[in-house]
Amino acid sequence: MIRYLRLYRQFLSFSFSKSLEYRLDFWFRIIMDCIFYVVEIAFFMVIYQHTEILGEWNFDQTLVFVCGFLLVDAIHMTVFSNNLWWLPIYVNKGDLDYYLVRPVSSLFFLSLRDFAANSFLNLVIASGLLGWSLMRYPEPIPTTNLLWYLFLLLNGALLHYTLQMFFLIPVIWLHSNRGLTNAFFSTTKLGERPDKIYPKWTRRILLFVFPLLLMAAIPARVLFEGPSLELVALTLGISAVFFLLMVSFWNFALRHYSSASS
Amino acid sequence: MNPALFLHLMSIESRRLLSYRVDFWITMILTLIVQLVVIWALWTAIFAESGKDIVAGWDLQGILAYGVFVFLTGRVVRGGDLQMAVATEIYDGSLSRYLVYPCNYCFTKYAQQLGNIFPDIFQSVLMALLIIPFMESSSTVDLNLTGILMCLPSIFCAHLLFFMMGLIPQMVAFWADNVWSLSVMMRMVTMLIGGATFPLSLFPDSMQSILYMLPFRYLFEFPTLVLLGKVGFEEWITGIVSCLIWCGFFLLLLIPVWRRGTLRYTGVGI
Repeated sequence: MIRYLRLYRQFLSFSFSKSLEYRLDFWFRIIMDCIFYVVEIAFFMVIYQHTEILGEWNFDQTLVFVCGFLLVDAIHMTVFSNNLWWLPIYVNKGDLDYYLVRPVSSLFFLSLRDFAANSFLNLVIASGLLGWSLMRYPEPIPTTNLLWYLFLLLNGALLHYTLQMFFLIPVIWLHSNRGLTNAFFSTTKLGERPDKIYPKWTRRILLFVFPLLLMAAIPARVLFEGPSLELVALTLGISAVFFLLMVSFWNFALRHYSSASS
Repeated sequence: MNPALFLHLMSIESRRLLSYRVDFWITMILTLIVQLVVIWALWTAIFAESGKDIVAGWDLQGILAYGVFVFLTGRVVRGGDLQMAVATEIYDGSLSRYLVYPCNYCFTKYAQQLGNIFPDIFQSVLMALLIIPFMESSSTVDLNLTGILMCLPSIFCAHLLFFMMGLIPQMVAFWADNVWSLSVMMRMVTMLIGGATFPLSLFPDSMQSILYMLPFRYLFEFPTLVLLGKVGFEEWITGIVSCLIWCGFFLLLLIPVWRRGTLRYTGVGI
């Protein structure tokens, strides 16, 4: 474990040095993420011009939910996104070999090697937005609810990574995963809306089969309604099952990796 | 450019896109399903919880039709996956080979971009044919043959406008190494204020007057409103002309950027 932490410290150091090579890109990416935040919040501001309640939430509650989602996205963009972008390229070029022969977990190395230093600033901005939405929330929020909420958002970021890996790993067989990647990013839209807008069966699918609602919507419910054993156990249990399934899928896929570049 | 060469480039691009058929269909089917689920759930909840029958001039069936058709027309307008092609060619130096070809670079790229949309048109028509029988009638939209015929030139003009608007951020690659985030920015902004997320009539009145002066509405909202029979003939002509004027405006912006960029271009690549 200590060895992995030391290795991750090296990844961080290398990533910050590298990000300063492309200074213009550094700022472009920060602006891009800020625009994403503005677009997401503006979407609900416009919607709430026409209704008081959406999926049982008023605007203040939805704002907290959206900012929670933005935080999950910012964590994902900072910690995992660059690495997942490169994974299909490594597979197609045969460069994955270099990672497989190293004396550490290949999944750890490939998932965490590139820390997006420019997105780190966005992580700070997203945290600020979440803080702002919580401060303007009119009702008192118990500390226990808040702590559980923050913990479940971190879990949501890990779940986001896990789900994306399910869409990336098939590149070992398909060679081009552009369709699957596009499909994943389209599908995440389902998790960007309040969970109660979905009918019962869609909601069940989005909780148990493709658990996008566990990333931000269910944590927001824990914040507003309190940490019920049912909701917390459901979120953590399903996340753990999906993570273990993803690791097994990765190991299975590696057995079929031919190493041939194309 | 020689029209035969233009058509040949289009044909190559269409065939290239179809070479990864799994990608092609997965992208289409999954994104369509997600779009249908999201718009249906969202608007059903809004109409149910607000207790209104009409929201910003739309009934539930009308706005669902808008959501479906803006998705299908928007795919054609965005035209495949060439948004980063120009920036990549500048970055890796492969632009050099185009500069020595006896044809204009922007025309070549536009031919490729057009080639990209034909498979999208085929898919969109197919999906529309599958969905239309399940759509319930609306008092606020009127889907008819005139609308469909008027929509086709609107889509092609919108596609040209999207191409012209997308070129400028890509040409920033002459000065910066990595500009994909600029293209993503443009995409996000145009989706919201171009009407790809919802009709612009949902925005507050003060914002609508500003949004209607900008070119973005011609990308997504205008072709969809034309298709749904919400645009009269005169308004349609005005819209098409306005869209083409915006294309001319972006062309005028593009020319000096291209000239200064190519002077700076070294062709070294990565």
